[in-house]
Amino acid sequence: MGHTSLEKIIALQKKTSCIRNLCILAHVDHGKTTLADSLVASNGIISSRLAGKLRYLDSREDEQIRGITMKSSAISLHYTTGGNEYLINLIDSPGHVDFSSEVSTAVRLCDGAIIVVDAVEGVCPQTQVVLRQAWLENIRPVLVINKIDRLIVELKLTSQEAFTHLQKILEQVNAVTGSLFTSKVLEERAEKDAEAQSSCTENSSADQVYDWSAGLEETDDSDLYFSPDRGNVVFASAIDGWGFRIHQFAEMYSQKMGIRSSVLLKTLWGDFYLNAKAQKIMKGAQSKGKKPLFVQLVLDNIWSMYDAVVTRRDKEKVEKMVTSLGLKVMSRDLRHSDPKVLLSAICSQWLPVSQAVLSMVCEKLPCPAEISAERVEKLMSVGARRFDSLPEKTQELKKESPAVQLPLTQEEISQRRELARQRHAERQAANQSAESPRSADAGGTSTPAGPAGSAVTGKNLTYALCAQTEALSVKAAVEEESKEHFVAFARVYSGIIRKGQKVFVLGPKYNPSLALRLPEGCSVADVLPSIPHMACCTVDRLYLLMGRELEDLDEVPSGNVLGIGGMEEFILKSATISTSPACPPFTPLSFEATPIVRVAVEPKHPSEMPKLVRGMRLLNQADPCAEVLIQETGEHVLVTAGEVHLQRCLDDLRERFAKIEISVSEPIIPFRETVIRPPKMDMVNEDLGKQQKVAVIHQVKEEQMKIPEGVQVDSTGLVTLTTSNKMATVGVRAIPLPEEVTRLLEDNVELIRTMEQFSLFAWEDKTLDINQKILENIQDFKVKLESNLQGHKWRGAVEHIWAFGPRRFGPNILLNNIEGYRRPSVWQCLEREKETERAEIRDFDNSIVSGFQLATLSGPMCEEPLMGVCFSVETWDMKISVPQAQQDSVDEDSQPSEPNNDDQSERSDMHETSSNRSRSRAEAAGGSVDCYGPFSGQLIAAMKDTCRYAFQAKPQRLMAAMYTCEIMATAEVLGRMYAVLSKREGRVLQEEMKEGTDMFIIKAVLPVAESFGFADEIRKRTSGLASPQLVFSHWEVIGSDPFWVPTTEEEYLHFGEKADSANQALKYRNAVRRRKGLYVEEKLVEHAEKQRTLSKNK
Amino acid sequence: MSIFTPTNQIRLTNVAVVRMKKAGKRFEIACYKNKVMSWRSGAEKDLDEVLQTHTVFVNVSKGQVAKRDDLSSAFGTEDLTEACTQILAKGELQVSDRERQSQLEHMFRDIATIVAEKCVNPETKRPYTVILIERAMKDIHFSVKANKSTKQQALEVIKQLQQSIQIQRAHMRLRFVLPARDGKRLKEKLRPLIKTVENEDFTEQLEMLMVFPVLQVCLIDPGCFRDIDELIRCETKGKGTLEVLSLKDVEEGDEKLE
Repeated sequence: MGHTSLEKIIALQKKTSCIRNLCILAHVDHGKTTLADSLVASNGIISSRLAGKLRYLDSREDEQIRGITMKSSAISLHYTTGGNEYLINLIDSPGHVDFSSEVSTAVRLCDGAIIVVDAVEGVCPQTQVVLRQAWLENIRPVLVINKIDRLIVELKLTSQEAFTHLQKILEQVNAVTGSLFTSKVLEERAEKDAEAQSSCTENSSADQVYDWSAGLEETDDSDLYFSPDRGNVVFASAIDGWGFRIHQFAEMYSQKMGIRSSVLLKTLWGDFYLNAKAQKIMKGAQSKGKKPLFVQLVLDNIWSMYDAVVTRRDKEKVEKMVTSLGLKVMSRDLRHSDPKVLLSAICSQWLPVSQAVLSMVCEKLPCPAEISAERVEKLMSVGARRFDSLPEKTQELKKESPAVQLPLTQEEISQRRELARQRHAERQAANQSAESPRSADAGGTSTPAGPAGSAVTGKNLTYALCAQTEALSVKAAVEEESKEHFVAFARVYSGIIRKGQKVFVLGPKYNPSLALRLPEGCSVADVLPSIPHMACCTVDRLYLLMGRELEDLDEVPSGNVLGIGGMEEFILKSATISTSPACPPFTPLSFEATPIVRVAVEPKHPSEMPKLVRGMRLLNQADPCAEVLIQETGEHVLVTAGEVHLQRCLDDLRERFAKIEISVSEPIIPFRETVIRPPKMDMVNEDLGKQQKVAVIHQVKEEQMKIPEGVQVDSTGLVTLTTSNKMATVGVRAIPLPEEVTRLLEDNVELIRTMEQFSLFAWEDKTLDINQKILENIQDFKVKLESNLQGHKWRGAVEHIWAFGPRRFGPNILLNNIEGYRRPSVWQCLEREKETERAEIRDFDNSIVSGFQLATLSGPMCEEPLMGVCFSVETWDMKISVPQAQQDSVDEDSQPSEPNNDDQSERSDMHETSSNRSRSRAEAAGGSVDCYGPFSGQLIAAMKDTCRYAFQAKPQRLMAAMYTCEIMATAEVLGRMYAVLSKREGRVLQEEMKEGTDMFIIKAVLPVAESFGFADEIRKRTSGLASPQLVFSHWEVIGSDPFWVPTTEEEYLHFGEKADSANQALKYRNAVRRRKGLYVEEKLVEHAEKQRTLSKNK
Repeated sequence: MSIFTPTNQIRLTNVAVVRMKKAGKRFEIACYKNKVMSWRSGAEKDLDEVLQTHTVFVNVSKGQVAKRDDLSSAFGTEDLTEACTQILAKGELQVSDRERQSQLEHMFRDIATIVAEKCVNPETKRPYTVILIERAMKDIHFSVKANKSTKQQALEVIKQLQQSIQIQRAHMRLRFVLPARDGKRLKEKLRPLIKTVENEDFTEQLEMLMVFPVLQVCLIDPGCFRDIDELIRCETKGKGTLEVLSLKDVEEGDEKLE
């Protein structure tokens, strides 16, 4: 380690007011890590020569190769200024969009942020994002305008031009901050208006109008903006090692010119010029064509130095400058052939960037003790929200509120107390007046907590400690054993954390009210009954994070950033650590990017599956933004924020977590199959029916091929099929269900499951107790179904529902429309009391249902499940005792009485002991096994086939899963975004402007099948200004018919004989069939003549 | 480079010959390669894309055309196109390597799909994906037999796969109701066939009646289903009932790894 010893840092850690927790945020490639390098170099950890080239904080191999940061890393630096010593906990964060989750983590742990902006590129999309994030987390930003050397060397601007350029950049940054501010103010206003309206309707609208107009002006926003004269802007070139604030120049020139430095400070930035004759600073440099002060005094000096050192290499002049500045440059550097070396040697002594940045940080950023009240409130607001939302629980939570305040440092507590009072006061006004003594209590109890918290330091006992850990980061440094070690990246908000201490680990969903039921005064050491989302563990090791290295620590006082080891079993992604179970978990991180890129991951060797699963678990723990899930299809799906992030996750998986070869593929896309009513229009929107059929020949041929012999199809779509031993015949018709019904069935899966269970039990003469509420829900569901199934053909349909499918609770219905067959309805749980005459169940009833289940599980188009189809069984004839050949002649209309007689004797009523029962049973048993296997099996197969043919007799359609896609985009990229959407078959639902900003919010739907690579494409096309979010929403019927061929004259003209234009549904269907290895109707060779004709022996 | 000299050999480089013996005569037609199978499967509908020429030969390579009389006696028509379609549909041909390859590929996929549908990972009770099964099948050097049904081959390959990866037939969930009289005896017989019994219910609630139902919910290997079905039917003389609760017992829904 450099010249700051560990002891020094430990000593500094205890002085909260001397700690600065800050992170560096910027767009990708704006020079965060380079800047961090020069700061690190100032502490002697790395050589200042290497600063900017080494990228010390990019410790991963792939980071170094790609040249971008992917993981945040932290380092503790020591800085002395004006006799004050400071400890600076610096976090370098990645700038790439894919890793914005890392930024969220960094921002959460810090009190201040350095925003770096490239002087050439200006404000970029990610700059806006990080500014917003800093804003949302309520941390104070300072600005570094980096890469000014590029203005000189690359763009070759004059100092005057550079000045206007810099001014513009500053304006841009301030505009972003301003818009954030206005949107917040407007939001608050809207909330207030809403409140005002709900609370007191008497308030006239005139009042509100007044309020509204006053909104923006009332709130002061001047301290939000960046301005060099306020000292929160540094101009720098981190690669050359220089940087300055105008303070430095102001002081320098005030001595030289005899102008007060405060005056200079105010005038150095802006439209002022120096009137040499009058020795006065005058306004209006631009209008008078004079050089602004900043150009004259600051930029010109830098320009001339670059000119001398880099462009002209004027040795004499350089020497003159060096001596006039009073610097000492080693002769080695002077002789070096690369002028950059000399330049950085001079600059790093003249205007060292670390000096400028660190002094600004120490001056302008708050110490941990000064966390703004707002921020504290936000952190704890999980509890607060509960407070509001669950008024009946206030009783419990009141007890909790003193505890809530415990985990704060002493300084905060005064603020907190006020806050708590305010909040309580508000609530009292709204709720009961009885709470008022309580709130005083709350304040009262927290007061002793405060001193206790601060006394901890001296007395060696921790009273309340709370640290929030986020994003377990993995450190290769600890990788001595083969196992991966996780180090939790944490910050102590209050108290002291010690090695070996027992703490509670509270998950994000932990509810403190549960813990409060425990006996009071229990400590961590007690054995506690398990509470959801709470674990108890010992702090194994504490680390000081020093970039690539870790230093062991014994204890860490509040306000510091630290690493905690040995928590991997207790923490998933983030957690709150506390010694008090009453502490609420801190609010979860607000992620700018949600994971959207989905891929399926598989091991190269199937036997390595367990390793992969373990690796994915670890990855999930290590990366806050990666999601890992196993789908019903058995796929292991990895969801990441973007392509670069994905690449990193895969590399991690290959090299660190799973250590196996893996292969990545597009995830399987599910489809559904359904039937629709026959369309009235053809593909060119002409009325069908009137037209002549032209190319019907092919279709007829296909139709005949599809349906084998023994199946009779009538014109209305009723399909009749006989089992192979000719003993039973079933007639089934497929009917499309209305969309609302399908949705209703989807939504009520649980109810259907309960009903199914009930009828199963009822079948065995037992009863299942269903509570009243569920019964009501079922009744409700039934009524809704009835209201949706209206019209002639659905008469009595709801009563006749036989089963649901697939798996007995899916969105398809089996209807019992057999004359003379009354079976107990699926609604029998509702009719328990009535106990009507026992409806009989035929033998093999179950086989019919099984056949239906099988048919709905995989449809004929591409073996995907059916959806929204109703199979109505219209005939079911059994000829158990007379196996005859002429059974074929039984068609759907014949309703012979003889099978009914059979059925009566066949019914499976267990109580009945009739004499002929055993006889027919024996017959049934005898007849049930023949050359075709058991009869029940045959019936299942027959029923399944009948359903499939019935399905095929109707116009079939595929249903595609759809994502709803919410896109935030700025106005200028709207056009390109729409292009991407429409290319991928997306449909825009609505578009509205976000109030107070220039962002548009677009809602669209997009087929899941088209979503692979969507996020990446939209980002690329809009240069990152639009970011989509995809959530599965619903199933949608694809309009085109997969079996469509041109039939009418119009269509023939329009599409040609082969219908070459892409048929979306057919494309999907063939893709699925090909994946499953089913037969796909496609030619091996499209054109016979165009094959290679070379023979082997010639 | 040698100068191209015409030889007296005519090589049929891009011709697939379909042969058929009918009425004691041999007939051949000349077709394009890789096209006959798609015609037979119905994918190719244009006859001109299949036939090189609408002529029936006795020997294609020698260019001997079949006699008109032989045609009419064999096919009952003198229409050459009609005769060609008949030969196309029923004649024998050497399947070209590309056709064979695509056919085997399809079968391989199909087998993998069947295996993936029927099997689960016993640890997670979740199915494997088709791609993974395919890879595992390649690892054990499984080769497809074109003349066996895919389902049959799938069942064979499951047994072989069990040696290399953790795989198992997905269990069927069954429920039977047995009369108590036979119940005890039957249970002993059923025991070896059943994997796990989930729920056993001996409640003899209807004691005054003659039948005492014994309920069992259990998981079985799907291969044993027939045996169990048989056993119950025969032993209880139709009094016992058997019900399939689910065809395969797998985990449902997505699971987040944590």
